[in-house]
Amino acid sequence: MIQLQNVSRWYGQVIGLNDVTCQIGPGVTALLGMNGAGKSTMMRLITGQLRPTTGDISINGMEPFANPELYKILGYCPEIDKFYEHNTGRQFVYYLARLAGYGKQEAADRTNQMLLTVGMADRADRPIAGFSKGMRQRIKLAQAMLHDPEIILLDEPLNGLDPIGRHDMASLLAHLASMGKTILISSHILYEVQHMTESILLLHRGRLLATGDLRVIRSLLDKHPHQVRINTTDPHGVAERLVTLPNVISIAFETRENTLQLEVREPDSFYNALSDLILNQGLPVEGFESPDNNLESVFKYLVEA
Amino acid sequence: MEFYLYTHSVKEFLRARRIAAWVILTLMVAAIGLVWKYVAKSETDTQRYADLTSIFTFHLVALAAAIMTTSIIGQEVEQKTIVYILTRPVSRWKLLLMRYLGAVTVVSLIGILCSLLLSAAVFGGNPLGNSLLVPDIMAIILGAFAYSAFCLLVSLLIVRSMIVCILFILAWETTVPNMPGDLYRLSIYSYMQAIAQHPAVTDNRGTAFLSGDLGNNFLQPSTGYPVLIIVSVILIAFSLWWFTIFEFVPREDSD
Repeated sequence: MIQLQNVSRWYGQVIGLNDVTCQIGPGVTALLGMNGAGKSTMMRLITGQLRPTTGDISINGMEPFANPELYKILGYCPEIDKFYEHNTGRQFVYYLARLAGYGKQEAADRTNQMLLTVGMADRADRPIAGFSKGMRQRIKLAQAMLHDPEIILLDEPLNGLDPIGRHDMASLLAHLASMGKTILISSHILYEVQHMTESILLLHRGRLLATGDLRVIRSLLDKHPHQVRINTTDPHGVAERLVTLPNVISIAFETRENTLQLEVREPDSFYNALSDLILNQGLPVEGFESPDNNLESVFKYLVEA
Repeated sequence: MEFYLYTHSVKEFLRARRIAAWVILTLMVAAIGLVWKYVAKSETDTQRYADLTSIFTFHLVALAAAIMTTSIIGQEVEQKTIVYILTRPVSRWKLLLMRYLGAVTVVSLIGILCSLLLSAAVFGGNPLGNSLLVPDIMAIILGAFAYSAFCLLVSLLIVRSMIVCILFILAWETTVPNMPGDLYRLSIYSYMQAIAQHPAVTDNRGTAFLSGDLGNNFLQPSTGYPVLIIVSVILIAFSLWWFTIFEFVPREDSD
């Protein structure tokens, strides 16, 4: 169990984390926030790289700063994309396995096992300097999990991973969570983590803005007008059809760009109806996007609320 | 675990790309030893060896200590790889101590290699026939401990510490041993000279300056040994304490 009690962290005159109180238990929890929200600061405080300026942090009853006992049960995948570039992937993971206290054979075995788990077994004997972003990300994951930690912190682990890698990662985390592990995964992209967990912590400018179930946040979003932009060759014809839908509140024309700007309620129902119109009734829609379907809009709604 | 930390540290310092420059420098010192016969014709082999050891070997040890020990933590912080080692179940002080000992080992090896090659060059292929060799090796080893401890502490206290340490070696450690009064006592180099007990340079002021012979250094080995040991222990103890209680996260990483 990770517990933060009124934790603040200042960097000189700048505040990185502001009076955060929360508990993180077994299962996957997403730490969401835009760049600069304080996610990495919170991760560094939990992993004992930083000390809180005020407040207390406790992990399974232990104070984290520079505590070797804690690191026996904690695995950390940092956001930074830095390595000992002259090492091969296998040497890097093996070195960190030895630092975890394993003997030669056990470290080699665990290294092999983790490289297999993250899909790097066949590519790990090349120097890290030549690795792609996705391969580097997998090596970082391997080093975080090689000692089978009870608590796993992953700082932006999906950066650079391809769709298959993301899917594998989601499956791996689901498996680890089912084993009772506590997993905290940070991201600044909502859709990246929303299929991994419903449990979230929302950070905004150093403050914990919301905690709990993502579905609650979603329902809050659904109560507010949701922006949708549709590209079409026939704006008037499409508008005529869409205005009959019960979820559509307003439609604005952007004729120069052949674009319609809609405000809708209950966006999931609207998208279902829109799909039906396109597929079954041939509505001439070339594309659509929602500027609201991102984390920024969540913060906007929450801050305004 | 501790032994692995030590051997891994030694292996890292002995990587071909890191050690090659030092081997070349030791060969250059030996080459100067061969040429010096023709430059200082009036001197004995022992005097020539002593001059070159004081001017080159001892300063090479100091320089190697500065460059290697400042990379132990400073480079990890600059490259931002320090996060990996600070989140492992190993005490920070053990990690630092083993890396320090690894650096001292390699710095000492460089100094000893330089002494042996120089001795072979000056004494014509019989380096072990040189009566100054054993005290020089002792001075090199204790000097490696002291310089490494000093530079390690500086690297923990300030960023871009290598420049400060190199300035310390090239300016302070060359000048202070030549200063009047007891100021020479503020230099590690003076205590290395006290252990080595080289014959004084008499006729060439330039050589005497570079050998630290313009001051009033009458220190004996009985002073040189304990002072270098005590200085090393105090400096490394302070470094271990500092590394254990302070944060080592690159500032620019903070969001």
